[in-house]
This record gives sequence, C-alpha cells and structure tokens, in this order.
Amino acid sequence: MAGKSGRSINNVPEAPIKKMILSWEGILVVLFVLVNIFCAVFSEFYNLKSLLRQMPIYLAEVFLMLPMAYILVLGEIDISVGSIVCLSATMSCIVCNTGAPFIVVVLTGLVVGTLCGLVNGFILTRFEELPPMIVTLATQIIFRGIAEIVLGSGGSISATNTDGFRLLGGKVGSVPYILFLVVILSVVFAVVLGKSTFGRRVYAIGTNRLTAYYSGIHVQKIRLIIYTVMGTMAGLCSLFLVSTSYGANTTTGNGFEMDAIAMAVFGGISSTGGKGNLAGGIISAFIIVCLRVGLGQKNVHAQVILLILGVLLIAAVALPNIIGQIKRVVKK
Amino acid sequence: MNKKLVSAVLCGTMILGSVSPVFAGTADGMKIALVAKSAGNAFFEIAADAFEETVTAEGGTVEKVYPEAATADAQIKALDNLISQDFDAICISANDVNALQAKLEEAMDEGIKVSCFDSAPNKDSRQVFVNQAGTVAVGQALMDAVLDIAGGEGQWAILSATSQAANQNAWIDAMKKIMEEDEKYSKLELVEVAYGDDEPQKSTDQTAALLEKYPDLKVICAPTTVGIAAAAKYLQDNESACKLTGLGLPSEMIEYTGADDAHSCPYFYLWDMVGLGNLSAYSTIALISGDITGALDETFTAGDMGEYTITEADDGGTEIVLGLPLQFNSDNIEEMAKLY
Repeated sequence: MAGKSGRSINNVPEAPIKKMILSWEGILVVLFVLVNIFCAVFSEFYNLKSLLRQMPIYLAEVFLMLPMAYILVLGEIDISVGSIVCLSATMSCIVCNTGAPFIVVVLTGLVVGTLCGLVNGFILTRFEELPPMIVTLATQIIFRGIAEIVLGSGGSISATNTDGFRLLGGKVGSVPYILFLVVILSVVFAVVLGKSTFGRRVYAIGTNRLTAYYSGIHVQKIRLIIYTVMGTMAGLCSLFLVSTSYGANTTTGNGFEMDAIAMAVFGGISSTGGKGNLAGGIISAFIIVCLRVGLGQKNVHAQVILLILGVLLIAAVALPNIIGQIKRVVKK
Repeated sequence: MNKKLVSAVLCGTMILGSVSPVFAGTADGMKIALVAKSAGNAFFEIAADAFEETVTAEGGTVEKVYPEAATADAQIKALDNLISQDFDAICISANDVNALQAKLEEAMDEGIKVSCFDSAPNKDSRQVFVNQAGTVAVGQALMDAVLDIAGGEGQWAILSATSQAANQNAWIDAMKKIMEEDEKYSKLELVEVAYGDDEPQKSTDQTAALLEKYPDLKVICAPTTVGIAAAAKYLQDNESACKLTGLGLPSEMIEYTGADDAHSCPYFYLWDMVGLGNLSAYSTIALISGDITGALDETFTAGDMGEYTITEADDGGTEIVLGLPLQFNSDNIEEMAKLY
C-alpha cells in the first residue's frame, strides 16, 4: 500500500487523482456510497431522517474511535474504554441525582473519564515494559468493578433530573447535536494527527519507539497525554450515552472498546502501529453506522449484522495483503 | 378406504383452517414487534412462539427482534430500528427498568402502542404490563406448599438467588407477610434465608450448610430455577428427609419430582409461559384496536382465555395478571418437561 499516509519512500510521485482513488480512503468513500445505495434499496425506511434519528447511540462510539486511532498508531491498544464509559456514566448519574447543576454533571463525567485514562497512562509510562493489552485488561475489570460496587450487583441507576441530558440529546431541526460535535472533533483529531508535529511524533513512536526516543521525542509524555485524552473522550461518550437512556447500569459501554477498534482498523489504521490516518477511520465509522441502521431497519438479526461486520473487518485487514501478493505475482 | 376418508377429512379441515382466519381475525393487518432480552433464551422462546401463533391466527404479523446483547443499550438500538418502521405496537421484555424510558416514550409519541411482558420497564415507559403471576399469588402458593409439605409445623428455610434480586426479595417479603398474618402458619419457623447467587455450586454448598446447621429442617423453598435444581440434586443424592419446593423448570426437575421418599421434591411451581405469550398477544391486539388504553379497571376479552381486567401493578403502573402459577407434580411433569 504505497502512498498511504504519505510516508512512502517511493520518489516517483504518482498522479494525485490516481493516488487518491487507489488509496484505502478512496476505496472507503466508494464503499460508503455503495453501502448507502444498498441500504436505500434494501430498506424502504432508510432515508436521511431515519438515519439522523438512529445515529446518536452509534456516534457516541466515534468519540472513542478518535483517540483510539492515536493509540493504535502508537502500536498499542486500550481495551478499558468501555469500562471507563460505564464508570463515568455511573458517576455522572450519581452527581446528577444530588441535584447538582448540569455543568457539574458534565464535568464529573469528563473528570472521571480523564482520571481513569490518567491511571492507564500512569501505569503504562511508569512501567513502560508492561504490555498495554494486559494493563488495560486489568483496568477494564477494575473500572467496571468499581462501577458495579457503586451500583450494587446487577444494579442500575437512573437520572432523576433528566432535563440536562435531554438538552444534550437535543437536535437542531432533525440534526442531533452529537453529529456537530463528532464532525468538529473529527477534524481536530485528524488535523492534529495528520498535520501537527505532535502527530508526526506519534507516527514516529509507532514506527520505532527506540529510534523515536533517541531522536529526542518525549515518548512517555506523549503516551501519557494520549491515554489521558482517551479517558476524557470516554467520559464525553458516556454523557451522550446517558442522554439516550437517562441512566447507567453495569452493562453500559460493554464492548464499546472493540467497536472503536473495529472502526479504526476498518479505516486502515494498522494495529501494529505507524500506519493509517484518521480520515479512513472516520469514513469507516460512518460506513458501519449506515450499514447497521440500514440492515437493522429490515430486522436482520443483530447477530447476522455482527457477522457481516466481522467479515468486512477481516476483508479490510486482509485486502492490503492480498493486493500486495497479486502485485508481486504480476511483477514476476 | 378408511385412510382415504381420514385424509379427505384432514384436507377439508386444513382448507377450512387456512381460510377461516381471513374472516375471523381481530388483528387483521396489524404489525407487532416482539423485542426479546437477548437471543437464545429457550424459556422466553416458548412465550414468544405462543405470542406469534396467537397474533398470526388473528390475522396479524409478528416480527421477533433480538438485540445483539442482553443489555439496555442493545435494546435501545433495536427500538431505534423499530420506531423508524411502521409497526402498530411494540411488545418488549426489558433488560433494564428505567433505561428504555426515553426510547419507549419516543415510540408512544410516534403513535406506536407499547406493551410488555416477562420483565417490565417502569410505569412511564409502557401502556400495560402482562404479569406472569402477581407477587402475592406466588408468595401464597409457595407458603401453602411449605405448609403442606412440612405437615403443618417445623423448621424451613429459603434458598434464594442474590440478596439484591428484586423479584426474589419481593416474593420472600410476600411470603414473610403471609406467614405473619395468618394463624395457620404460626407453627412454621423460618430459620434462614440463604443466598446461592444463582450459581449451581454455591447453591449446593448453601443447601449442605443449611442441613448441617438445622438437622431438623423439614422444607427448603427455593424460588429460583438454579437454586431449586441444585438443592433437588443434593437432597436426593444424600437421601435427606428434608423436602423441597419453589420455582423451577420442569425439564431440570423431572428426575427429582415425585410424591414418594425417593424423590426430593413433591411439587413445585412456575408460570405458564404459553399462557403468558397468548395473553400478551391478546393484550397488545386490544391496545392497537383501541379496546383498552392501559388505564386502571378497563376490561377486555382475551380470545378463548376469557375476560381480563387491568389492575394496579406494584410499581404504580398498570398490569394484567395472567393468574396463579402452575403446579408441577408427578402427574404432569413429563408432559411439561417437553415444553420447558
């Protein structure tokens, strides 16, 4: 996949249009259009209005995908985010029920999320040889465990004052607020990763951590920042999630980490680090959202939808490999 | 000759059977969505099949919807899908009491009727709940079983699931209240409420502990399917004099049910899932056709099940109570074990 993320060493520049279409992002845009055509033909209920109405709960996961892309580019993984969502949602509901003003509720969600992210980042940077998968597996259990203790086993909490959350789940016309926020944050995260020095450094660490370190990059500082931001975004996700259910329970955010990782990987962001860009992740997020809404509207079994997504994901990961092999065969 | 006659008669009934609903349907053209807690719950499927059968027989169609996981979030996604379509009603078994309120209110605002059964969302999220058996009715049936099996007097204990389980605690509280209020239970002594957390091993351990602590224990009442199956096996394997009753699944209890000394459980209870599915279907149809709105004291006819009245539920909303729990004993257990 030469040309991806503009980091190829190839010194013969390709024609820009050809490059764009052949890039993974180009393929994704085509796929996005195809998925929408398919859904519109498949389901008579599929239109912009129903799509916008059903979107919010899926869009909350995009908040997780954005920082997750950074972590994947680092060559790492964070599987604790679903639990962070659960804990932040629980805490903000508890604070909401004390009658605190809504701004305090929002801050609680964000702060709890940030603290959880900080814990992950602190452990991972303090003991840098620990594998992120195992550390975040542990914190996944710990964060959800805390939420379960607070909630009581099998328990749930509902916000008694739902005004604030109703506001958060509101719409301009038929466009939900969350869509605006997703677009704005997507641009910010994409620009920082793709265009800023910080982003360059993230790629450098993901490509070769040791080289990056010896080039004077503050590897641990950058990792700490990214894991912390991951937590903050999980807090943000939890607030919007609560605005769809006005409450939290022990299963809140279950499996969200995997959805976020799937969106990013489907978007061409390699889990081995140093490859991919956020444009791909964002387009693929919307492909997944549209596909789930479209298939869901025709009452295709939820398990079948998951199966289709799984097949797509494997195809997405395997495709660059297959293309590479074909190219090699052709060259011979 | 005989065979020909039989087949002719069968053909005739089949044709009649396929034609008659077109004339008789009270649910003609109705589209109802039935939302499960999750996929793969055999117990729920019995009610769901009965539900579908009834609605189809009345001329309507049912779409069974299974959320991707047994969570409220997954049910919210499923509800989102359904609201976008043109359903007349949604009948749901809720994964969470309060979490679905926003979505179900949205559905009702869109003119979709909302009924629920098996597990109810809160009173603001529904128009009516079809309850398998009232809390007091379950408590009464279990208390009478304990009294009967204990022979009128002696020590008994409860083996529950977890200490926080809402339905378990409601039944246990109802039993305690019934025991206090009526003189005939005065010679029964409730020695302990043990918690097996709905895990087979822990329930077995708790049963063993109860027998050790109280050698004169006459009856254990386990109002949980996991607890009763574990206790039944332990008591029977150890040939204990202590007997068992409670709420259980016939298919899991078939080996242990019998009135003689060789079996540990003389009889036990559970609701009638087929009846629950049928009644839920009739209630939902009545909601759509406008025969009921879900308000207190309304009455309607549930097909051949007869007349039902909407009553007040424990949570302040309204419900339709199916009736008394079903008793399973050596006479009917083999038949019932095939069903559930």
